[in-house]
Amino acid sequence: MTSILTRRGLMLSAATIALSAGAAMAQDCPIKIGALAPLSAPGTVVGGEAMRDAMMLAQADINAAGGVLGCPIEVVLADSEGLPERATAVTERLITQDNVVAIGGGYHSSVGVAAKEVADARGVPVVFAETWNDTITGDKHKYIFRIAPLSSWTSNINWQFALTLPDIKKVAILTENTDYGIPASQETAKGLEANGVAATIFSVDIGTQDYAGIVERIKAETPDMIITLVTGEAAFNFTQQAADAGIGPMDLPFQTGQDALESGTYWTNVPDGQYAFVQRIGVPESQFTDKGRAFAAAYKAKTGKSDVESYAMEAYDSIAVLAQAIEEAGSTDGDAIVTALEKISHEGTLGRIYFDYGLKRDPSADGKGDEWWHQWPDPAITIIQFQKQGQASTDAAIVYPEAYKTAEPIWVNR
Amino acid sequence: MQTPEIFWTVILWMIGWGVLGAVLLRRRYLARDLDTSNVPFAGAMAGAALGPVGVGLLWLRTPALSARLTTALALLAVVLIAAAFSFADPENNCVANGAFRASQITNGIIIGIIYGFMALGLTLIFSILGVVSFAHGEFYMIGGMLVYYITVVWFPDAGPLMGVLGACFIAFCIGAIFERAMLTPMYTGKIDRPVEYGILATFGLAFTLQYFVQAIHGASPVKVQRFIDFPRFEWPAGAETPVIATSRGNLTLFDTVSISNPRFTAAVTCILVLLALLYLLHRTWTGKALRAVSQDREAAAIAGIDPNRMNMLAFALGGMIAALAGALLVQAFSWLPQVGAIPAMRSFVIVVLGGLGSLPGAFVGGIMVGLVEAAGTGCIPDAQKAASYIPAYGMIVLTLTLLLRPTGLFGRRFSSGMHGQGG
Repeated sequence: MTSILTRRGLMLSAATIALSAGAAMAQDCPIKIGALAPLSAPGTVVGGEAMRDAMMLAQADINAAGGVLGCPIEVVLADSEGLPERATAVTERLITQDNVVAIGGGYHSSVGVAAKEVADARGVPVVFAETWNDTITGDKHKYIFRIAPLSSWTSNINWQFALTLPDIKKVAILTENTDYGIPASQETAKGLEANGVAATIFSVDIGTQDYAGIVERIKAETPDMIITLVTGEAAFNFTQQAADAGIGPMDLPFQTGQDALESGTYWTNVPDGQYAFVQRIGVPESQFTDKGRAFAAAYKAKTGKSDVESYAMEAYDSIAVLAQAIEEAGSTDGDAIVTALEKISHEGTLGRIYFDYGLKRDPSADGKGDEWWHQWPDPAITIIQFQKQGQASTDAAIVYPEAYKTAEPIWVNR
Repeated sequence: MQTPEIFWTVILWMIGWGVLGAVLLRRRYLARDLDTSNVPFAGAMAGAALGPVGVGLLWLRTPALSARLTTALALLAVVLIAAAFSFADPENNCVANGAFRASQITNGIIIGIIYGFMALGLTLIFSILGVVSFAHGEFYMIGGMLVYYITVVWFPDAGPLMGVLGACFIAFCIGAIFERAMLTPMYTGKIDRPVEYGILATFGLAFTLQYFVQAIHGASPVKVQRFIDFPRFEWPAGAETPVIATSRGNLTLFDTVSISNPRFTAAVTCILVLLALLYLLHRTWTGKALRAVSQDREAAAIAGIDPNRMNMLAFALGGMIAALAGALLVQAFSWLPQVGAIPAMRSFVIVVLGGLGSLPGAFVGGIMVGLVEAAGTGCIPDAQKAASYIPAYGMIVLTLTLLLRPTGLFGRRFSSGMHGQGG
């Protein structure tokens, strides 16, 4: 009887082990990871294409290194068009039709705000790459992570840098009326006003092309500095039209949009853009990690660009972080991936990526705000300046903050 | 705004008397068995501009409501709004800063000329074919893209004139081939719903052009250098405040109004091409044939005009006009495969505002929309909102106009109603 029971127990154990192993071995290959990027207008297509190229490089690198759980990965691209309603639809499609196990990428904040609700409700982990709105992590959703900086952090850098301009009294802020632009402009204005500097916010639609009327209005305000919180070619249009009207980067301190980091396109579209300041996420190229340098070389070779944009690096890392989390979870189950992400230490192109706060430790335990939930705490935020005509963004001077500074800012006409 | 109550009281007063004028006078003219086609618009303007005096005078005298009288009343209403705004917000830049005001008006007129020019192509197609071309924005886009490719990529030594002419020629050919290949079923009676067919076919062309360009070119915005540099010039020379002063990239009037070189050259070229177009339409056999077909296709066919050929010419010419607008503006704006969406929407607004099928209406409507956008952007006190609603300003004018004058400013009933058929 004992031997029968023992045999039966052994058989059960063997069956259980076989089933478990089978589950791992029978993992549907390839493992699909969704990738959000704006590949059509009114989204910032130039940003979306950079992210797409970076995420496809991530797929190639991960598969060349043996894939995940013995399977190759497949990055399934979804065009968010920069629109929240489109983001909801494509996230739903990625999960229910393409059967992705996790999602990376994401450029526009409004897309992140919309997509996070769908993914969280469906229990699919997301690592957002370049969506800054504080509420994306601030809503403390179980399945939502972010490696981009918070909007409030980038706004702090904006106004703190503006305050370094001698005798600054008034700043004009041009912003897009989106989930990125509105809070960023308000936080920037708040920081300036708290330090005795007047700030006027001008808000525009995301695809605005003609800025003649707005430029005249900004000119009439006689600002000491202009800060542009607009994405895509709209920032190029504004910067060049401001230059045509005599209030461009060569006429007064002028911070242009982040898409100027693709400096080839910037100089084509803004020939009078010398001395513009640009906010850049990530350390300067001279301080890249080995992985960052390898990625930069591969990315430049693939795209033919002279620079590597910070959002391309973030996009690459968002896929690589997820791949490592799936591997460490040993499963494609959403909860297991979240557990792995909370414990992860990933050597990415941007540096070591980890998440201090989440289910195991609430941000409030350290007196921090909700926005620190599943938020990578270390993205470097710098201000660079194109001090020479035609300069590549990776060669441009880093003028703020002190920790990364390579040159003093040139304040034109001061 | 310092005293918004003044402004809103005047606006409410104008709206109240405007509505009363439109309703009461229409009844009065009907009761007297007079033409009422222009009465709601004129009555509303009389009520808005002169209140009970205006409505009362028209009620008593029921004069013929000429275009001149209606225009004068409309202008008076605009002046009244401006006066109320000046009292309510005396420190607004639009009130207190003459240079700013002049700049906004100039910018409004310049961009309005370009808007109107682009809408002209759309209205030309509509007046002949009876179809709204949803590919108009894509013709605008390929105009700019072709100038970039011709002058920067394919033939770097080619001047801007070659680029613009090349873009116009290619756009004309695309328009002509598309019309022959895709729109001819509209005229043969094989299609039950020719208008819907035409709209869907042009939608298809729009998608094809946009995604074809995106596949070939990618999504990086491009731009070409300004076509010409202004010679350095000042008149009167040495004056403290010269009437005109130019630098390579700018033209300054009275030392206050600054117009960028690309916008100025685009607007002047649009005016010259418009004059050439008017010559074509009014002084050449082909132009007269086009106009004849737009007025009555069957009568034109009886007179020996081939309406189908005119269909092809109108579609190709309309597409070429949009492409020319794009070709001229690629030196001013960054250019993407999706760049045509907003200008196309604006053209639809202008065409309906000016009156479907009316060439002068398209041009006047364009300038009106340009001025209204400039006024809204420059004068709305809340800077955060002023520029957010640029596309809405034209829609407000359109809605008001259509409420009072459904045919638009210069509209007429679509005479043939044949939508490209016949002949």
